Amino acid sequence: MMKEGRNLKSRFKHLFFYLDLTLLTQMMIPLFIFFIFLIGPLATVLYVAFQYNPLNILRDPTFLSFNPQGQLVFMAKRYFRGEWVNIIIFRGVSYGVIFNSLANAFFVTICSSILGVIIAFILARYEFPGKILFRVLATVPLLMTPFINAFVIKKLFDWRDGLISFFINDVLNLPYRVGIESLAGVAVTQIMTFFPIIYLNVFSSMVNVDPSLEEQAESLGARGFRLFRTITLPLSLPGLAAGSAIVFIFSLEDIAAPIVFNERRFISYQIFSRFIEATTGQLSPVAATLAIILLTLALLAFAGIKEYVSLKQYAMLSRGGRWKVRISKPGKKGLIAIYAFVLPFLLFTAFPQIGVFIYAFSQEWSGPLPKGFTLDNLSRIVIDPLVSRAIINSLSYSIVAVTMIAFIGLSASYVIARAKIPGLHLMDLLVTSPIALPGLVIAVGYFYFFSTFFAGTILDPVRTGPYFLLMFAYTVRRLPFTARAVFAGLQQVHVALEEASLNLGASRLRTLVFIVIPLIGLNILSGALISFVYCMSEVSTGVTLGGLGGISEGHQAPITFIMMDYLNRIRGPHIVASLGVLLISIQLTVIFLVNFAFKQKYAYIGV
Amino acid sequence: MTRVVLKEVTKRFEDVVAADRVTFQVEEGELFTLLGPSGCGKTTTLRIIAGFEMPDYGRIFFDEADVTFKKPYERGCAMVFQNYALWPHMSVYENIAYGLKLRKLPKSEIDKRVKEVLRLVGLEGLENRHPLQLSGGQQQRVALARALVIEPKVLLLDEPLSNLDAKLRLRMREELKSLQKELGITTIYVTHDQEEAMSISDRIAVMRKGRILQIGSPIKVYMDPTNLFVATFIGRSTLLRGIVEEVSGRRVKFKVGAFTLDGRIAEGFNMKKGERAVAVIRPEDFSIEFKKASNVIDGTVKLTMFLGPFMQAKVKIGSQDISAYLDPELKLKPGEHIRLYIDPDDVVIFPAEGWEELEFEA
Repeated sequence: MMKEGRNLKSRFKHLFFYLDLTLLTQMMIPLFIFFIFLIGPLATVLYVAFQYNPLNILRDPTFLSFNPQGQLVFMAKRYFRGEWVNIIIFRGVSYGVIFNSLANAFFVTICSSILGVIIAFILARYEFPGKILFRVLATVPLLMTPFINAFVIKKLFDWRDGLISFFINDVLNLPYRVGIESLAGVAVTQIMTFFPIIYLNVFSSMVNVDPSLEEQAESLGARGFRLFRTITLPLSLPGLAAGSAIVFIFSLEDIAAPIVFNERRFISYQIFSRFIEATTGQLSPVAATLAIILLTLALLAFAGIKEYVSLKQYAMLSRGGRWKVRISKPGKKGLIAIYAFVLPFLLFTAFPQIGVFIYAFSQEWSGPLPKGFTLDNLSRIVIDPLVSRAIINSLSYSIVAVTMIAFIGLSASYVIARAKIPGLHLMDLLVTSPIALPGLVIAVGYFYFFSTFFAGTILDPVRTGPYFLLMFAYTVRRLPFTARAVFAGLQQVHVALEEASLNLGASRLRTLVFIVIPLIGLNILSGALISFVYCMSEVSTGVTLGGLGGISEGHQAPITFIMMDYLNRIRGPHIVASLGVLLISIQLTVIFLVNFAFKQKYAYIGV
Repeated sequence: MTRVVLKEVTKRFEDVVAADRVTFQVEEGELFTLLGPSGCGKTTTLRIIAGFEMPDYGRIFFDEADVTFKKPYERGCAMVFQNYALWPHMSVYENIAYGLKLRKLPKSEIDKRVKEVLRLVGLEGLENRHPLQLSGGQQQRVALARALVIEPKVLLLDEPLSNLDAKLRLRMREELKSLQKELGITTIYVTHDQEEAMSISDRIAVMRKGRILQIGSPIKVYMDPTNLFVATFIGRSTLLRGIVEEVSGRRVKFKVGAFTLDGRIAEGFNMKKGERAVAVIRPEDFSIEFKKASNVIDGTVKLTMFLGPFMQAKVKIGSQDISAYLDPELKLKPGEHIRLYIDPDDVVIFPAEGWEELEFEA
């Protein structure tokens, strides 16, 4: 007993020797925020889900069915615009909401991985004229233009007025028209949007592989595909694992593609559609159950790749290249393949973003080809009170969120990097976890938690509208980007620089203000800017919680909600595309500032 | 001037004991060195004194005041870090003035004292440079100036010379010693370089695996090591295994193969007849002998290396190898048979226990 007591006392003494008031504050504030705005809501979702029998949902054929519905490929001969044509439409087969989400996520992840690895290998190991264009094109799909890029893809594959059918049938005069719809449409959209995430991660891994490892294998006789299969790919596996986990989760929680293709048979759509009725103040418990399923699948994806990557690794990717990377020139056949297949492929995957510009600057695009140049759409986003209000909303939410992010990110990362107390890895995990948590789960959690425990307060999304919650949702969801940037900065700052200050008599706070912050200022700023970009284009909580206040003059919804809402209005796509152009401009500005002005090396990982 | 006392200071990291009941007293104005191989706990001990680590057990006193639980910024000691830890976003002047500003000195006073200390370390005129524009030696001086300018109670130096090239290191060593004597600041110096420790210190504490093995003046630890590790770590030495043949007082006859050497028992030990023992001999204490018949051993030269003032010869004696520094004029060649003489006072006999471990570390 005596020993126990002394132990406890000495532990406390130990704790308070290493924790001064500054560090303690820096630890408690992030923990408090995360407790209220992450742990509490998630716990509530669990509670609500288990109040009803969550297994019921598995017996409902809407959610899980062994009778497949629909057909993978629909083929017919039809009389269309004066001639007989063969119509081929890819649609996909449904086995119920839960299975669809899972199968789709697997399919998208596998296809994205194959495409991403091929592109990464070509761009990391070969030098050819115009390579820089390839690298730019490959990252274009990462420019976030919620809803409208999916809308462009849908248009591309429309069998009536799509560009592809136009090209086959009207230009080449072949009697075929091809379309992609519903489930297949969602999958194709996600593959086109997400494969660059794999490409960037694998590329970064590949240029970071010590070239002597490959040279050693070569000197022992390994060449070509064998070298790739036995050395290059295994060494790039951490990048592939990180990338595919992100793609898997992004695919699961993606709500834009299902909405655009009007495909309701996905978990994300089911959760989303229940929010439409939630303005009444009630959210169906099915939403909680679905949220738990979504969360479980996302966490399983991470548990599966835990061996290869830690959460730390990918919020910020070093673009690497400490060695002189092994680069060779492709042969003639290789060069032809690169220009004949890779370039068209990359142009194709970059097309949605190009299409956004076409929509934004055209008067009409209902047939296969756009008509008339106009700046009217761009001016409409300022003139239209609902749209301009959304821009102001998003800007102000994002600015408030980023301010909190900068403060919490700095505090939490500093504590994690410097405090010498046990259990900090848990705090680290907590701060980085939002990257793996589907935003829809957070939205559901916020709804239950704040409309129950904070009813009638400023935090109640039903009574006072969602603006306050959106700020905190943005803060929690986009914190990892800043936290990791700050952490990376702190790792560059030798602890002795701070110890020298403490040693000369400066308090912890003073040391933080005069030594630490000046030294990692650019990291904080870069991280905050990246967080800002991701706040502006945040979809999951924006289109769910964001609509709770209703859409009328002076509404509280963010840009992304309006982008979804306007898609089906007259001239809507043109206005949404103009908002997309606005978002792209912000993103390009930030990319330029961070990479070229601040010379920080963070890559973007996507939506 | 301050006296520093450590009492039973113990610190454990996971399953490594970094400091094991470390106890010593540094007198006012003394230059006291913690010497040992990497991982021996010397830096941890210094960091405990600075307040960056809390001991699990034990107390630290500055004069009469117990500072064990004081924060680093409440202790009034100044540390010079191994990598200097100069703030890259501040000029030399700002780096040095930092501690003075914290003490809320008037600007004119700060100005005066920064100028003074810059003169002291020989860096006048470099106030406005930034650390990255300075050479290694200059950075070292700025770090020292930054510590000295606050007139610390205790100056802590953590391997301050290890990042300098060999020539500069010798010069800075002299400067550091004369500066310390001039200012009379109680100084605790950490190094793994035994030559540096011997040349600069008033007293040395030799540490190994968290423990202090011996404390004494450089001459004392060199001449009278009380521990086999100290004997091999300080200066160069070579080991000969054998058996104690005869004991008379502190003197022994020590049998190595077919030869018998006269030697003396190391301080703090007692030896018995027939006990296995190790003789520690400095390589410079061997000399080639043709006439004398007592205290000699015969061997065969295996390898020679010319080191300038002497020739280092690896000599095979029975089944053992020793190193000897011999006269280069002799032009020894591998394969030659030679007879070596050692003065009985230079043959220090330790119990054999633990010698294998030392061989392995070497």
